[in-house]
Amino acid sequence: MSWPIYLALKQLFPSGRRLPFFTIISVVGVGLGVALMLVATSVMGGFGHQIRQMIIDTQGEVQVRARDSIRDLAGVEKALAGVPAVAAYAPYAQGVVMLDHDRRPGFPVIQGYDLARIGKVIPLERYLLCGSLDDLDDDAVILSSLLAQALGVGVGGKVSVYSPLMLERLKQNEVLLPRDVRVAGIFQIGHQQLDSSTVVCSLRLMQDLYGLGNTVHGYNVRIQPGANEDVVVAQLNAALPPDVRAQTWFESNADFQAVLSFERNMIFFLLTFIIVVAAFSITSSLLMSVVRKTREIGLLGALGGSTRQVAVCFCVQGLILGCAGTAAGLAFGFALLRYRDALVHLIASQTMGQEVFVKFYQFARLPAYTAPRDVVLIVVFSIIASTLAGLIPAWRAARLKPVEALRSE
Amino acid sequence: MIEVLRGIDFELHAGESVSVRGQSGSGKTTLLNVLAGLDRPDSGELWWNNEPAHLLSLGDLTARRGRFLGLVFQAYYLIPEIDALANVLMGARVVGPVGPTERERAASLLQRVGLAERASHLPAHLSGGERQRVALARALMNRPRVILADEPTGNLDEHTADDVIELLLQVCAEKGAALVLVTHNPAYAGRTGRQLVLHEGILA
Repeated sequence: MSWPIYLALKQLFPSGRRLPFFTIISVVGVGLGVALMLVATSVMGGFGHQIRQMIIDTQGEVQVRARDSIRDLAGVEKALAGVPAVAAYAPYAQGVVMLDHDRRPGFPVIQGYDLARIGKVIPLERYLLCGSLDDLDDDAVILSSLLAQALGVGVGGKVSVYSPLMLERLKQNEVLLPRDVRVAGIFQIGHQQLDSSTVVCSLRLMQDLYGLGNTVHGYNVRIQPGANEDVVVAQLNAALPPDVRAQTWFESNADFQAVLSFERNMIFFLLTFIIVVAAFSITSSLLMSVVRKTREIGLLGALGGSTRQVAVCFCVQGLILGCAGTAAGLAFGFALLRYRDALVHLIASQTMGQEVFVKFYQFARLPAYTAPRDVVLIVVFSIIASTLAGLIPAWRAARLKPVEALRSE
Repeated sequence: MIEVLRGIDFELHAGESVSVRGQSGSGKTTLLNVLAGLDRPDSGELWWNNEPAHLLSLGDLTARRGRFLGLVFQAYYLIPEIDALANVLMGARVVGPVGPTERERAASLLQRVGLAERASHLPAHLSGGERQRVALARALMNRPRVILADEPTGNLDEHTADDVIELLLQVCAEKGAALVLVTHNPAYAGRTGRQLVLHEGILA
């Protein structure tokens, strides 16, 4: 081992002595920055990942839509069947209705699915809290959990459904009565917004409520595992009728994804300043070290050490502190992620309360998804910042002339 | 500008021991720094082992110094984070890689200066005399041709100073290293082969 590295290690981790305060502070500073960046990006990634899974579970990876409604069902289904990467597809229609139960109103989005085919595209049964999909027919609905709670209705109860079609008919002096349906089940997806305002029904019922006849609003498409969504969409768009377009789940929710991505990048950007501050603290501590060790630096020059080697010694200290801090930060960050739910529940119970947390943040559990790319980015940034932090002290040390350094008091 | 040294004509032969005395501020340390190549004189020449050191680049001068000279300072200048043995080895580390041979030599030098038992002790746990003996062992690590000692007993009590000077003279003689000893003490100067006095920058 060359002496600059040897001495750098010994100055940071001296043998037979307690770890210097400077080493501890520097490692903790970098470590906290790395841990915070890891936790923040992982949680943001977790939100994105969870939302992606939620969207795919409720819409499929690909959606086929027309500007208005799809009339040529046979043509569309022929195009869908012609793409080998398409695993399953099912038609849907959706709109807003008013529900009423015991004078308690609700204004959810209602989704009508082809009950015979939807199971292969959207795993509704996975989210069912009570009731059964088998009981879902043209006179029944499944309510999301918070909506059912707000309406005060359970499985087997009745709700009245008011659709916009009733207003349309009223303009023509025709009165349509609300449709009374029974509650066949209650589901919970885990997203506050969806769980408070979603109703699932049969496609037939939805077509009746909106007067769609045999038309649908679109198709939810599930693709084969491993298939590329963009490629499938391109193949579908080549085969679909001109007024019907296929979109990936990402394109269908592009604005939302863009906001999520922007927030994630901004948090990453802002948190990099923690590491920059930690790097400045390394610079400051190493500069103090250069002043404190002026005569030792002079000695090394007198013994035959070159100015470049003296500079390397201080630069390497920045590098070592960066590596140690990054390793500590990763360990701490992953530990925080491992026990994040317990920590969040503890904080929530001590402050706002669990229910408020769910209400505002829309997730019952704090999601986390650590992308390997993010970890690499954090590690590289942290180590580079710490190494650069050693440059100014290294330059100062290298500029010291041995004879002047030895003379210093 | 202050003229510190004037008309210095100094030659040192292999194995010779020379003392330099003089009042404070007379230029003793400056003379030693010039001999060590740490300070460059405004004019004149410096030859090491028949080589014109004054013509060497700073890098070459630094590298040659590590092998040609051993330096002993009044304030020891040991590295506090490493033990006595590692401090002795530091002399070798700075000029090249260290292996078992260097480790054995460092251990034997520590034994020679009477500190074999203290090899694993940090400088903070050594007395002043012990630290100076470690510094002496470090100076001898690269088998230098010349030892330059700048008031090596300045921080030591009389008894310890006597021991260190005795050891310095003995070890230099054993290892065949020439010695330039800067000291205030006429008794220590008297024990060297040649005694010089520096007065107002002039060596006599």
